[in-house]
Amino acid sequence: MKEKPPVVFIVDDDAGVRSSIRLLLRSVGIAATPLASAAEFLAAFDASQPGCLVLDIRMPSMSGMELQQQLNLRGAIIPVIFITGHGDVPMAVEAMQHGAFDFLQKPFRDQDLIDRIQKALARDRDNRTALLKHDGIRASLESLTPREKEVLELLTQGMQNKVMAAKLGLSQRTVEIHRAHVMEKMGASSVAQLVRMVLDTRDV
Amino acid sequence: MPSSQLLAVMDAAVDAVILMDQTGRIQAVNGAGERMFGWPPGELAGRNVGVLMPEAARGAHDGYIARYLQTGVSRIIGIGRELQAQRRDGRAFPAFVSVGRVAGAEPPQFVGFIRDTTAQHEHIADVQHEARRSVDRLMNVSRMATMGEMAAGIAHELNQPLTAIANYARASERFLAMPEPELDEVREAVREIAGEALRAGAIIRRLRELVRGGEEARENTPVARLVEELRLLTLADARMHGVSIRFDLHADAPEVFVHPTQIMQALLNLIRNALESTAGDAAGRREVLVRSRRNDAGDCEIEVCDNGPGVAPEILDRMFDPFLTTKQKGTGLGLPMSRTIAEAHGGSLRHEPVEPRGARFILTLPAAGNVA
Repeated sequence: MKEKPPVVFIVDDDAGVRSSIRLLLRSVGIAATPLASAAEFLAAFDASQPGCLVLDIRMPSMSGMELQQQLNLRGAIIPVIFITGHGDVPMAVEAMQHGAFDFLQKPFRDQDLIDRIQKALARDRDNRTALLKHDGIRASLESLTPREKEVLELLTQGMQNKVMAAKLGLSQRTVEIHRAHVMEKMGASSVAQLVRMVLDTRDV
Repeated sequence: MPSSQLLAVMDAAVDAVILMDQTGRIQAVNGAGERMFGWPPGELAGRNVGVLMPEAARGAHDGYIARYLQTGVSRIIGIGRELQAQRRDGRAFPAFVSVGRVAGAEPPQFVGFIRDTTAQHEHIADVQHEARRSVDRLMNVSRMATMGEMAAGIAHELNQPLTAIANYARASERFLAMPEPELDEVREAVREIAGEALRAGAIIRRLRELVRGGEEARENTPVARLVEELRLLTLADARMHGVSIRFDLHADAPEVFVHPTQIMQALLNLIRNALESTAGDAAGRREVLVRSRRNDAGDCEIEVCDNGPGVAPEILDRMFDPFLTTKQKGTGLGLPMSRTIAEAHGGSLRHEPVEPRGARFILTLPAAGNVA
């Protein structure tokens, strides 16, 4: 799959604020897409698009908080930076509890916004890499036969071939063949690596 | 001529007492009457009672007794009413006049009792003046309370252009610092900065106009202008409440003859109520509509309509009563004040439920030409 370049989405109902942020980001070479409402963003939302979201917390019709809920329901991983006004701190705290990446109070220092956006983009990149890796591991796991899955399970428990053979009622030779297949299909070069992979997918 | 005993009784009275015949000729008057009307003793007897009233009222009075005798229908006889009386020196004063027919007298005889009510009138004027001042004060309190509640929204609204200005300025700095400065971008940014600064100024100006209030005179005003003045402030408030607000201002709405800030205050109360009542609803359904138009009578109607939960049935009868509030920090003055303002302008304020959900408040103001 070809990697798409990241985009910063700016969702603010105030035309002045969103186009000034777009210009500010352009001045540091970051591509941004300004949108006037939460609904516009949802309509154009593509989970596979890397980037981050700069979101006004107060908007008519659908607020930033409500958009965040919608995104959470869809299992979106895009990092959200909330832009808040004075006295919105309790709201911002709530947004953070719901998984917001960060928040900034208006008016903010340009460098603060740029720094946070760059951090959010890096976080998004890491998240997507990890997800891809997980997806790869899951796909490999799916490709195992039921017998191979049994062998993998016992392997990760640190069981010896001989013990495993007895437990599964197989010859030691057959266990060795299954084990080689598991290592090959999972693309693991050691049992330690194999264990890491399995634990990784269980964490998520 | 009345007996000396009757004259003595008349003279003891504090009010003016006048005895007259069926043509209105004064037969006798007591001392209080002569003093009240400023006539020397004995000079009123024999004159027509018309000399005691302003010229404009004389003709009508001549007819009173004749008509009463003819038809038996009384305008004043046996009833008593407030009239303008006139002293000999021409000065008019308000008086309560009651006239009775003297029973058994033939030819008919009438007796009038007249009380100078100047003092009462002055007292009433004082009370009215005091009441007006109280209303003014209350209006001020209500306006200031509104301002206080709106302060957060206004601060937020001012933050928007300031944020944009800061961003544009910083972006320009960066564009200019490039080895080959991107002047087109800088030009765009500078133009936007000017626009945003003007926008901030406009918000402050609107706010000052609303706070000023009170002293201005009534003037012919297009309703759309009043609503337009409120637009920026209510947009700020709408954003605070997460509600979208629409304005539908018909060009055919007539001009109204009003105190602009008072009407703005009344409208602001209605709009803020609508915003607050819808704020708790789910996303996408929170909407307030402000519409102005000419109604069938040719007067101006301004409607504030929301799709919130509507007015609770248990307070439908009482929502215009002062100090009744459903808000945690409400003063309970918004609706009664708005109705007082509407009625002081010869208009009205009424409520209608909206189906399936919501409330509509309709402020009607007479067209400038229709003001009495």
